[in-house]
Amino acid sequence: MLPADCSLRLVAELRAALDACGEQQRQLDQSLRVCRRLLRAWEPTRPAAPEPTPGPEPNEEDPSPACAPSLQDLTELELLTQALEKAVRVRKGISKVGEGDKAPSLKPRTVATPPATTTSVPPQAPGQAGNGTSETRSPRGIRQPKVPARSLPEHRLLSTRERTSLGRGARATRPSLGDQQVTPSVTPLVPEAFTLKEKGTLLRLPMAFWKAASQNAHLWAQIDSTQASDSANATARTRFLLKMQAASGWPGVGLSAAVVEAEVGRLRKACLRLRLRMGTELAAAPTDCVQEYRCLLLLEGLQATVGQCLHWLQELRKVVAKHHLELCPSGMPARASCLCEGGADAAWSPQPLLYSSTQELQTLAALRLRVAMLDQQLHLEKVLMDELLPLVRTQRPCCVAVCRAVHSLLCNGGQHFPTVLQDEPAD
Amino acid sequence: MGRRRRPAGRAAGTGTGARALPEAIAALCRTLPAGPGPETFRRAKFDLPEAAPALWRLLSCVLSPRSEADTTGSLTREAQVRLVKSAMRSQGYPRPALFQLPEDGSQGSRELLLALSWLLARGPLIEQLLARTRVRLGDEMPVCECEDLAYGRASPGLPTPSKDADGCVDVRHVQWLMGKLRFRWRSLISSHQEHCALLSKIHKYTQGCHSDRNLGHLSVAETELLRDPEGGQQDTVLGASPPDSPNAGSQPTFLPSIPERVAGELELVSRELQALQKELQEAVEVRRASWEAQVRGQGPEWSAEMRASKEAVGQELAALWQAWEREGGLAQPHRPNRLVRSEAGAPPGQGLWATEAIGALRSKEACLEAVLCWLQGQSQQELARLAGALPGVIWIPPHGR
Repeated sequence: MLPADCSLRLVAELRAALDACGEQQRQLDQSLRVCRRLLRAWEPTRPAAPEPTPGPEPNEEDPSPACAPSLQDLTELELLTQALEKAVRVRKGISKVGEGDKAPSLKPRTVATPPATTTSVPPQAPGQAGNGTSETRSPRGIRQPKVPARSLPEHRLLSTRERTSLGRGARATRPSLGDQQVTPSVTPLVPEAFTLKEKGTLLRLPMAFWKAASQNAHLWAQIDSTQASDSANATARTRFLLKMQAASGWPGVGLSAAVVEAEVGRLRKACLRLRLRMGTELAAAPTDCVQEYRCLLLLEGLQATVGQCLHWLQELRKVVAKHHLELCPSGMPARASCLCEGGADAAWSPQPLLYSSTQELQTLAALRLRVAMLDQQLHLEKVLMDELLPLVRTQRPCCVAVCRAVHSLLCNGGQHFPTVLQDEPAD
Repeated sequence: MGRRRRPAGRAAGTGTGARALPEAIAALCRTLPAGPGPETFRRAKFDLPEAAPALWRLLSCVLSPRSEADTTGSLTREAQVRLVKSAMRSQGYPRPALFQLPEDGSQGSRELLLALSWLLARGPLIEQLLARTRVRLGDEMPVCECEDLAYGRASPGLPTPSKDADGCVDVRHVQWLMGKLRFRWRSLISSHQEHCALLSKIHKYTQGCHSDRNLGHLSVAETELLRDPEGGQQDTVLGASPPDSPNAGSQPTFLPSIPERVAGELELVSRELQALQKELQEAVEVRRASWEAQVRGQGPEWSAEMRASKEAVGQELAALWQAWEREGGLAQPHRPNRLVRSEAGAPPGQGLWATEAIGALRSKEACLEAVLCWLQGQSQQELARLAGALPGVIWIPPHGR
């Protein structure tokens, strides 16, 4: 059994690590659900807003939770197609009017800011005017399963969106059509479900959304560029900070725990890299005298650098010790802000991270996780060494079982155990 | 009055000052999370006590760690005061008057205003606040190191509620927890792989759709938007909060006093550096001895060679150092990024190629593995020594070591 304080710390650390993994997993699961749903067939969703029953629209059918078309729907579909020929002339006549009419009525439904989650502006319908005029108009008021089944994706999207926009009251243009029952499709098939795989390239972002998003991006880019070139502001800030410092009466040079931690982090990174370089040099087999000399010089250079780092560390220690009083609070929250977040070089507009194949993306993700895992393992290793090695050293009498257990934890992460044989003296 | 920062960065000239200042303050109020009004600022200027609570709330919201920003609204006034004081101390705030303000948060509005100005002057505070709540349209894959912070560091001072009365656990419990952690990592990795495959598919299928030609395809958030225009009903990606530190929902964690923690970390780094120095020293001694033996009796042309080598190595070391600084720069200008699928070989323009990120990560991985191996080696040596000293026991390390 481990003593109480040691146990507490170890369990706390491990639980924190487990919780972190668990949290990541939860978020990832959610993203996976979203992605999988997108890749399945897109079933038309039931409109969320309760649609007011239309007064003057006798032909309006309540939107049903559309699934597979029922028998009744199919027969109705056939009837509609029979009426097709008659309607063609009418349709051609109204199509021009309907097109011009529809756009302005639905355009006002724009989103003001990106955080708004709904929009009902249709994608560029005019682009499809050639073959889709009738289709873009027809879904209005027609029940989902009867939607004619040439089912271009815009069409399907339009139908959902138009229903919602209609539900919100943009009914002005409906009466102008008059002819609700028109189905322009020549081939009444069972409506195909929309899948991203087959028809994904036909999607278009709504105009309003795209405008808002690009404006947002533009503004963030502006912030980036003003930050970079803003020297007058910078001098005013520095002056202000210096004035504050001078007026404070404290001798400290604005030393903060955050700064010290940053320095420690830098030193740790430097140590890692030096070690790596040393490893490369030692592994390389010099072939001739000159190479051997260079290797030697490089190692000496690395040694000198390590010496400099140690010297810097000493200085840092002295400073921390001197300002001990100032850094001594009663309790502190964990890092107030991410170290990267506050950097003066931080840029705010997102940059594209380009990848060319699934493999590459997977490698990137795997490496990132591996690095994070190694980092965590290192941290845990240090904690374990801190807590367990003193126990083993000081235990009287030295218990082999404990040694064995501690060895497995420290040296293999608990995966393998050393073998212990008792050497009985032969009688 | 150099006291109040003008975030819009307009000219500080007195001519425009009179008009620009109220506008700037109004804009600032709109941006700040806890929503103090311009009146609050005016009152604070005159150190009126009515403004103090609003400013305490504002500062605690601004200074709390990302994940807990939503919960600070529910903190009591005293808790907010403590949070602000300790956060400001860790940031190195120079004025002692702030720390002497009463805990009930009833006074000191002018001090708080000064503190806010100091924070605004020091760093891009407003941008950080805006970035916290921004909508992420693209699929992000953070390659920055700060993400590592999210992978669970416990705070040693936290009193863990333990099941036993005395909190003692067996070593086997620790072993079990380690195993559980390993398992979780494995499933996390495989989930990520699946996620990448799905992302890649979605990007491929929506190629050519995006209005922005540089991006070329839709992200999951945008596709989700198209699928469900009435987005509030589903749990869309837009609605999901960005991946944050995992302490969300738990009590705000508190670390022991800073000197201890910092001293501990300094100690660790010092030990690592010293060990490295010793290894280098040994290696250098061995090599120098062997080389000097080889070189004995070489002619004068050799010294020219030596000089040339010295210069070359000097340059190499300088280049190495620079490369390291730059490599740290891969993560340094920390930007959010957005995954974009594009053909290899196409000019990236502004972007970052995944291959570069992979390269940087590989070298980091190698570094970390090296250190881990070394640490494990240290422990193994010591344990072997201790166990070997026991009479009548043969100690056989596991296979491979």
